[in-house]
Amino acid sequence: MAPWLTSGLIYASGLALTAGSITLLYIATRTFNFAVASMATIGFYVAYTGVTLYGGLPYQYYPLVLVVGAITGFVCYYGLNRPLLRRQAAEITLMMSTLGYDLVLLSMIQMYADYLTHTYKIFPRRVTMSLFDFELFGERAAAFILPVIAIGFLTILHFFLTKTKFGVAMRATIENPTLAGASGINSDRVYLVSWIISGGMAALGGSFMAMAMTGTPVMGMYTIPLMFAGAILGGLGSIYGGILGGMVIGLTEYAGVYLLAQQFGPWVLGYRMGIPLFIMAVTLLVFPRGLSGIPLAKIIKNWVGQKRGAGK
Amino acid sequence: MLTVNNLNSGYGKLQILYNLDIEVPEKELTVVVGPNGAGKTTLLCSIMNIANVFSGEIILQGNSIVGEQTHDLAQKGIAYVPQMGNVFAELSVMDNLHMAAYMLTKAEAKDKADQMTDIFPVLKKFIHRHAGTLSGGERRMLAIAMGLIKNPKLMLLDELSTDLAPIIAERVMMEVARMRDELDITVLMVEQMAKRALEIGNTAYLLVSGEVRYAGKAGDLLHEPELCSMYLGIKPPEDNSEGFELSISEDELPGSDEGSEDN
Repeated sequence: MAPWLTSGLIYASGLALTAGSITLLYIATRTFNFAVASMATIGFYVAYTGVTLYGGLPYQYYPLVLVVGAITGFVCYYGLNRPLLRRQAAEITLMMSTLGYDLVLLSMIQMYADYLTHTYKIFPRRVTMSLFDFELFGERAAAFILPVIAIGFLTILHFFLTKTKFGVAMRATIENPTLAGASGINSDRVYLVSWIISGGMAALGGSFMAMAMTGTPVMGMYTIPLMFAGAILGGLGSIYGGILGGMVIGLTEYAGVYLLAQQFGPWVLGYRMGIPLFIMAVTLLVFPRGLSGIPLAKIIKNWVGQKRGAGK
Repeated sequence: MLTVNNLNSGYGKLQILYNLDIEVPEKELTVVVGPNGAGKTTLLCSIMNIANVFSGEIILQGNSIVGEQTHDLAQKGIAYVPQMGNVFAELSVMDNLHMAAYMLTKAEAKDKADQMTDIFPVLKKFIHRHAGTLSGGERRMLAIAMGLIKNPKLMLLDELSTDLAPIIAERVMMEVARMRDELDITVLMVEQMAKRALEIGNTAYLLVSGEVRYAGKAGDLLHEPELCSMYLGIKPPEDNSEGFELSISEDELPGSDEGSEDN
């Protein structure tokens, strides 16, 4: 497997989850969640703490990552988002409140990093999580395991949203909160569950991304433009679109920088973030509603029709 | 069943309704008519705690319901069918019915969904289709079925005839009358199709600029030439002593194959 593909798959799996997390919260509560940055970083530190202090592989700590991420979502909903939603706050207020929450979380992360240094004499400010990985078929195992976990998570989420009563109620509330309330659905619970799922997704995504990049207390702040780029590329209207957008952004960053560095030299590495953002801009110019706005069914139907026509 | 006393309400700081008094008797059809912007929809939204109530009382069967959450009001037996966005377009017809029956158990919801498709056979044909693909008339039928499936004590219907072809609007009106007569459901209906609504209603209120201009028997409002022509745009009947007569046959009603829209 090409080196860019190995790292790209790992990184893109994490970015897909964080972009999906942003999209889920936006369509459920109209909130652009900036705290996704620190939620992702917290996910990395939970996995890092586990492997450093208790041993084993990063993967075995992912359930704990999900739980801790869900708790950060729970706290944000009850502490900030719910009171503001009840006051019918504007979208900009909702968004800025999550920025404040992100700064609080970031401070806590910094304090936690200092605590690890002083108490356990470890150095958590520049971490290479891939050192804790193992090899599978001659490649880093994360390149196989993380996409599988991401797809598994998406499958469970899809099953939850389409086959369970509460999942369908979530979709109903997201589409039409007034009618859902009039149907007896408690939107408060739907929003809470959205924050819990979203927090879990963001933290899991962050722990994935740290397997491909250097883990630092500000890794979330560094990558948040790409998380939002993934959500926007996905169209902001569908969780699946957001996840696909994150995957595309993550892969194009690694593929683009690899191909361009071969052509023009390593100086291109300094502009790596520009590549996926450029692709996002071009895609939105062609498809203003993002990837979820691409009429795939129509395109496939036309393509099949042309094939049949050519066969006659 | 429902009493509204001295209600002042609106959206945010904007007041729409002023000192409104409304009485909705049990097992009757109460009609609220009036020109655009009179506050008819705001009245229903105030009852459902979607609009802001500034002062006044809303009493359901002796208990004040002001400030109660919308989903709690649904659990108390109020079914609200909004004018717009009254179905979940992204969900199938079956999921719409199940969501409307959210408070019931799974078995009860299935039974009630079967009952609704018996009452509205047109829905059975499209049971797995997304509600967003239904025609206007089919959507209204689904919306009414979603209201009925809850076994409501009180149904709040907001301008059911909007955007419907006249024949479909008549069918919908007949369904409302049937709900009152055969299912003993109390109905508070806001309607732009004033003449038809007043013909089938028991009590009527005329709202103008957020205030009640007429309160009394529905049929009698049709004999108020000034109010009818000024606010409702209808010419009073020369002789309406016979009351409302069906202008369509029973065969055309929803539930009959001939009368259902099939597209």
